[in-house]
Amino acid sequence: MEKELQEKVDKLTKLQSVRADIVSLSAHQIRTSLSAIKWIIKMFIDGDLGKLTAEQENLMKKAYEDNDRAISVVSELLLANKAEDVIEKAYNFTEVNLIELIDSSIFDFSGEALAHKIEMIFLKPELQLPGVKADKEKLRIVLQNLLENAIKYSNQYGKVFIALREKNGFIEVSVKDMGIGISEEGKKSIFEKFYRDTTAQKKEALGSGIGLFTTKKIVEDHGGKIWFDSNEGEGTTFFFTVPVYKVS
Amino acid sequence: MAKTVLIIEDDNFLQGLEATKLKKEGYNVLTASNSVEAFKAMEGNKIDLILLDLLLPDVDGFMILEKVRQNKNLQAVPVIVFSNLSEEKDVSRATKLGASEFMIKSNFTLDEISKKVKELIGQ
Repeated sequence: MEKELQEKVDKLTKLQSVRADIVSLSAHQIRTSLSAIKWIIKMFIDGDLGKLTAEQENLMKKAYEDNDRAISVVSELLLANKAEDVIEKAYNFTEVNLIELIDSSIFDFSGEALAHKIEMIFLKPELQLPGVKADKEKLRIVLQNLLENAIKYSNQYGKVFIALREKNGFIEVSVKDMGIGISEEGKKSIFEKFYRDTTAQKKEALGSGIGLFTTKKIVEDHGGKIWFDSNEGEGTTFFFTVPVYKVS
Repeated sequence: MAKTVLIIEDDNFLQGLEATKLKKEGYNVLTASNSVEAFKAMEGNKIDLILLDLLLPDVDGFMILEKVRQNKNLQAVPVIVFSNLSEEKDVSRATKLGASEFMIKSNFTLDEISKKVKELIGQ
């Protein structure tokens, strides 16, 4: 009975992995086509292929924006796919250097930040912090989701601040943006699966609504907590904690 | 004398767009669609910069990058990895192997690529 159950679990895990690979490969192919479209439209807008009339230029700019939105959707699909794939796997807790992980997550989003004209500022602590007990790949998803939201829901030329401090055996990380904020109604449901706040829908029509749900689950699976402080129209700060690694 | 950029890209359409842009900016451009063509181009020409895609039909771009960095004549040549792979493990692997830059195709325009090329090797 136990053997049979294990075989079924193995089969499901394998299928999940195949599904994730198919989604990933398809998304990369779509992204390649969208890149080509992006470059061509930009050539038209820049006049590389001859001067456009004002009407043609406006239409091209609209097409460029729509194409960029499609690229964002595919990027989001890739992140969600990765998150789902990683979440299915068992946790592998090791000592993780949070500063290095944050640095590399910021690097991952540098293109996105540049495109949205957002500056990401990492306020590194002056004193050396201990490592945390975490599953590195899962914790990376937490940082990716929070950074992605901070960029996506900021206004152009906004700033995103990332800070961390040690407190009572935990490291507390904060990601602060100066963006649209969360509505009063949204504050009650923001961590629910598939929930999207009205302010977020106005700014970005498309989104899966699973990012913060996944983020909360991963943080809590680490024994940490997640919460936020937000004012509509002024910005949001997300905080989360991860336990300090202790040598047993 | 014009600097030479080698574009290693298997998508002919993208390769053509990249080549047109860089030629227009005054660079001498060589193209390769797979590793055989790439190594042939590297053997017979003085290359100033390589624009490298990661997903190629025969080997992956990481392997090409590794070989370039092991080659005495090429190890100092700047390599821009230009791919739609964007996971941290890909970026980190390319950086460890000695990529000068990692740029995600869909996040950048051709103008920005050409600016980056100019930044690394001048005109």
